[in-house]
Amino acid sequence: MKLEAYRKAFEQLAAGLGDTPSRDSRRAQFERFAAVGFPSKREEDWRYTDLASLSEKQFALPADGGDALIPQALADSQQLVFVDGRFDAARSSTQQHIGNIATTETADDDGLAALNAAFASPGLDLQLAAGQVLAQPLHLLFLGSGSATGTMTHQRHRIVLGSGASASVILEFARDSADERLATHTLSIELGANASLRLYRLQRESAGATLLTRIDARLDRDSRLRALCLDAGGGFVRHDCNVTLAAPGCEAEVHGLYVPQPRAHVDNHTRIVHAAPHGRSREHFRGIVGERTRAVFSGKVVVQPGAQKTDSEQRIANLLLSKRAEVNAKPDLEIYADDVKCAHGATVGQLDETALAYLRSRGIDAATAKALLLRAFALEILDHVEFAPLRRHIEDILDFPDDPELDRLIEAIA
Amino acid sequence: MAANLSDVRQLVRNQKYSAGFITDIEAEKVPPGLSEDVIRLISAKKLEPEWLLEFRLKAYRRWLTMTEPKWAHVQFPPIDYQSISYYSQPKSHLDGPKSLDEVDPKLLETYKKLGIPLKEQEMLAGVQNVAVDVVFDSVSVATTFKKKLAEAGVIFCPLSEAVRERPDLVQKYLGSVVPFADNFYAALNTAVFTEGSFVYIPKGVRCPMELSTYFRINERNTGQFERTLIIAEEGAYVSYLEGCTAPQRDENQLHAAVVELVALDDAQIKYSTVQNWYPGDEEGRGGIYNFVTKRGDCRGARSKISWTQVETGSAITWKYPSCILRGDDSVGEFYSVALTNHRQQADTGTKMIHVGKNTKSTIVSKGISAGRGQQSYRGLVRVLEGADNARNYTQCDSLLIGDQCGAHTFPYTEVRNPSARLEHEATTSKIAEDQLYYCRARGISEEEAVSMIVNGFCKEVFKELPMEFAVEAQKLLQVSLEGAVG
Repeated sequence: MKLEAYRKAFEQLAAGLGDTPSRDSRRAQFERFAAVGFPSKREEDWRYTDLASLSEKQFALPADGGDALIPQALADSQQLVFVDGRFDAARSSTQQHIGNIATTETADDDGLAALNAAFASPGLDLQLAAGQVLAQPLHLLFLGSGSATGTMTHQRHRIVLGSGASASVILEFARDSADERLATHTLSIELGANASLRLYRLQRESAGATLLTRIDARLDRDSRLRALCLDAGGGFVRHDCNVTLAAPGCEAEVHGLYVPQPRAHVDNHTRIVHAAPHGRSREHFRGIVGERTRAVFSGKVVVQPGAQKTDSEQRIANLLLSKRAEVNAKPDLEIYADDVKCAHGATVGQLDETALAYLRSRGIDAATAKALLLRAFALEILDHVEFAPLRRHIEDILDFPDDPELDRLIEAIA
Repeated sequence: MAANLSDVRQLVRNQKYSAGFITDIEAEKVPPGLSEDVIRLISAKKLEPEWLLEFRLKAYRRWLTMTEPKWAHVQFPPIDYQSISYYSQPKSHLDGPKSLDEVDPKLLETYKKLGIPLKEQEMLAGVQNVAVDVVFDSVSVATTFKKKLAEAGVIFCPLSEAVRERPDLVQKYLGSVVPFADNFYAALNTAVFTEGSFVYIPKGVRCPMELSTYFRINERNTGQFERTLIIAEEGAYVSYLEGCTAPQRDENQLHAAVVELVALDDAQIKYSTVQNWYPGDEEGRGGIYNFVTKRGDCRGARSKISWTQVETGSAITWKYPSCILRGDDSVGEFYSVALTNHRQQADTGTKMIHVGKNTKSTIVSKGISAGRGQQSYRGLVRVLEGADNARNYTQCDSLLIGDQCGAHTFPYTEVRNPSARLEHEATTSKIAEDQLYYCRARGISEEEAVSMIVNGFCKEVFKELPMEFAVEAQKLLQVSLEGAVG
């Protein structure tokens, strides 16, 4: 029977919960998932990402007490460490902002959201009162232990900012294991009037990992969301980012860079809904797609009736570097208001031959020249990272040559 | 300005779909409904060979297992395929006219009203040099300039005639570009298609004149299922135009056509459409459902297929003229202007499938949405693994007129070759206030100014149309846009 392993895992979880309302609501969510199952490739939103094989997988819930190698903490930030989906208080620099929001209703009828809600373990619950400013960025680190082979973890997170509040949050997914694992994360964001949130999502999972994340954000009057997504891992990854500009004057920026490792599959889906006038949205995604990788980008901008004076821009650029690579891009516009300015563009191409020749004529070897140009391509996105320690961390992950002398050269070319 | 606007409104109220009249002509129609018997009947009426009947039945059986596609961004009540009559022909046509002189004068009058000259001498008097095949409901009523074309070796005739005269060619190419089970409407068309044009340009021949087919739906409760097949042999060139109208009626009528183009080595096919089916009234009553499958196959090296379309009619348009760039160095082009006004809906675009090396494609799509019109561009550019140095340029712009309309863009790009270069760009905006103001300050009325700006917006596409069509397209656009401002 399909989804059998999931049912077994759920019964195990339910037995531990006893006779509680939480168990009943989880059971309802699980039954919804069991009825709908994983999304199929026939659904337009899942056209390029096939989850069919997940139905047959035998994932179990991880045992307690998993241990993982904790990387060095980023400077000037608070670290929250999760190992195998469980909060590791001892390794974290703060105990705050952790909560179980499993019983809250899910956003819509998606089978994945139901799966996540049925199994959800505690995650980030950041709630700031009006005017409150989070002094240091919160750095959430999701790791996997060596003993957690063939397991799945599901977490729900929430960020609620009161009016005028502001915060920076970094989500880093870095399970390092060769065996198959599944993780789902959902994050709901509510920004009050004039609130401001910076969100960074870093993914450097290794091959074998399946990661499905989903962000739903709702922006109130004059609030700002700035999100940056970086994918540098080798797993099978799908991200959904849904932003609704619900009141006038909101601003949303969603930028991303994907540099998938060989055999990786990275699918970024964004949906920006302008539901009120005077909204501004910017989206810029870039991809460097090499050997045996598959990158998908699907971005939708919807301007609802009445959302006049909307200003929206969406740009996607891809470098396709190998015969055995594939890029699928789909920037959609759905516009129901007339006084708007909406543009989108998508390109697929290669490194500029003339720029390569220029660098080589100045004595830079081909490999360095190529790396330089790739870095220059990536900088367009990385420049949106304002938190310096994180910027260094990302450059370390990407491993492009970093030399001030060469930086000047890059600028000369640009 | 207020007075001016009310003048415009007055004008609009009086504005009629000029092709909306009905020709009162006796017709022979098969009763509504679709079954194998109906298909056998159609086939028998057309005196078709056994293989064609088998082809139809195969498609029909597959169609029964298929479901209507739901992905398009359009809404309409379910179509009852059993209430449509799948065959209608003017009674006077039963014996078949031998020449133009024998054609029912009522029919000639119909086309005269539509501005389609059927008498060859008339055409010679004018500037036009166009051979016309005229399809009225399910049958072709006349094809002009046959003799002149025959001298050049060009075959231009109704498809049913081609089935009798050149079964070898028809059998070889029919369904080779759009397979019988390609999609729901193509399968339906394959089962019941009744007429259409057949064009064959032999090796090395440049067709001496523009070829044109004029489609007209007249009868109530009928659908038109035409099928066009164009074959350009090595080094051949042809430019083909297609026009369509239908009477003004409160009910919806279905038009599900299939067009197949085959271009061999070094051949060029230029296919232009001015689609002006009845669009329905302001409240969205009536109008044609235009669900069409058009595909060109650049089979030979250095071949070129170019689609140009001006879509102003139809209640709903669902149409994606595509190119399969199979031959090395082949070129595909798609130029489109689509206009939706009142409650019209259009989901249109193209597919460019790059298979061969050094293949190039260009897509220019201009969408204009006014009133409560909903308009979508949906395009696919796919570069397969072997398509080295494929190149695509896509530009789709939308113009919004009024705050009740919608303009949508759904571009798909799928690339599997690292030497491919693709660019896609799209913008959506309303008519610039400063441009309007400039025109108004110079004494140009708002209506005229809008029409002028819209024409400028579409210029890139219009310049691809043959001269006579470009003029007609501009006029059409103007008429279709009336009432959009104010």
